[in-house]
Amino acid sequence: MNTQQEFSRAEKFWMNFKLYQAWRFIVLNIKILMAVYQSKRS
Amino acid sequence: MAKVVVIGAGFAGHTAALYLGSKLGKKHEITVISNRDVFSYLPSWVWLGVGHMKPEQTIFKLKPVYDRKNVRFVHAAAKEIHPDAGDQYVLGEEVGTGNEIRLDYDYLVIAPGPLLNFAGTPGLGPENGFTHSICSLPHAVKTRDSYLAMCERMKKGETVKMVIGTGHPGATCQGAAFEYIVNVHKDLVKKGLRDKADILWLSNEPLLGDFGVNGVQIKRNGHVMRSEEFIQSVFNDHGIRYQVQTGVTKVEEGKIHWQNYEGDEGTTDFDFAMLIPAFKGQPFKYVNKNGEDITSKMTNPAGFVLVDGKYGLPYPELAQTPEAWPSTYQTPAYPNVFAAGIAFAPPGPISKPFTNKNNLLIAPAPPRTGMVSGVIGRLVALNIADLIETGKTTHSEPMTEMVAACIASMGDSLWDGNAVTIVMRPVVPDRKKYQNEFGRDLFTSHLEMGVSGAWMKFMLHHTFMWKFKARPGWTLIPE
Repeated sequence: MNTQQEFSRAEKFWMNFKLYQAWRFIVLNIKILMAVYQSKRS
Repeated sequence: MAKVVVIGAGFAGHTAALYLGSKLGKKHEITVISNRDVFSYLPSWVWLGVGHMKPEQTIFKLKPVYDRKNVRFVHAAAKEIHPDAGDQYVLGEEVGTGNEIRLDYDYLVIAPGPLLNFAGTPGLGPENGFTHSICSLPHAVKTRDSYLAMCERMKKGETVKMVIGTGHPGATCQGAAFEYIVNVHKDLVKKGLRDKADILWLSNEPLLGDFGVNGVQIKRNGHVMRSEEFIQSVFNDHGIRYQVQTGVTKVEEGKIHWQNYEGDEGTTDFDFAMLIPAFKGQPFKYVNKNGEDITSKMTNPAGFVLVDGKYGLPYPELAQTPEAWPSTYQTPAYPNVFAAGIAFAPPGPISKPFTNKNNLLIAPAPPRTGMVSGVIGRLVALNIADLIETGKTTHSEPMTEMVAACIASMGDSLWDGNAVTIVMRPVVPDRKKYQNEFGRDLFTSHLEMGVSGAWMKFMLHHTFMWKFKARPGWTLIPE
């Protein structure tokens, strides 16, 4: 059942590269807020 | 003046109470009855369970908040609900004195959270069994103490077996268990003990990364990526073994008994196990005006309250019927009674259920915690305000339209911590609206891992504590 699926070295680099992650932090916040406000909140 | 009673002060009940207090509290009587006098921010217990957060950082007293919002707080355990017109009330038992309390209502919100059904799996749980849980504050504290004791054993050179996952074939909340297992891994790495622990993920999910919601799927660079591949990568990267499609049937000291999809029966040894139990509805007694017990008409066999959903559809039909999911969370027989959060009965599972050759049903129950609970709590409160002010409801939001965001912590450090940020739209697939095999909006849905997630999780803890304390601007923070 266990497989060899793994993150690539590049993926691991970007996951921990703080400047890029600061950008992702902003993007993720916007994405979540947009998704929430697009949903009905009726 | 209308009387509104809210049973429970968790994510759903507390959210409902805050909105009701804000909208109606000055003109109408809003009462919360809860057997706990504190609000608990459960998502941070994954950190408490490894000793990275103190219990008092995850709770606050309810009464001062309710005093500011014109909500009366009654510290009592609800026992009976009398819903018939003309004489509608809740009976409770006051915590500390045991005195009987009667609360009359015009509108009722049932949101007491789950009953942790450790008894559903012999030997499960920290009180009468051999495993741990992070589903209540005392349990999380006990889990932390046991985990730290394990660390001491590892420091002396002992190798230990740790099993984390679900403790019943129908358990839910795989997300919390996932967060806990990865936080354990991270903590052991920091302590230099990771090589002393054999960590196993044991779960009833049909596939890794299913989380009881049929997985998460996103479109990235033109192809569809599934949470299964993603979580496999996480576990392989962290050296965590995994076993899914497995229902735990019994626990003995140091030994977990299970059955899998093939019907194989097996055992797994452990030194430390944190297994999420099945959830049941709180065992309230519903009584009609003739004094007859009508609980079986108000709830499903697990004790969850039947609301405006379409019940009894077989899974293949339910999966194609998004309108079967409740949208106002009103009980059909009593439109002034609502159920929010874990308390309402879902029409069926979201993930595909499986019955093995021994007739054991292995099926994760639909999660209705966190954001989903908060959204329903708000919706119910707004509809009650509508009913009082205009006589009709104007709000509806089935889980087939609801967006949910979840940040799954994988280490709390703001420098080298990590978390998976998950956005799902909708929570329950709608295969009519979204014409793909997953029934989801693959553009809005999102799955991403990185240290930014750890910052998000840290931020969420503080913003939600702010929100739940009803501090200025709390309504601007989404549920």
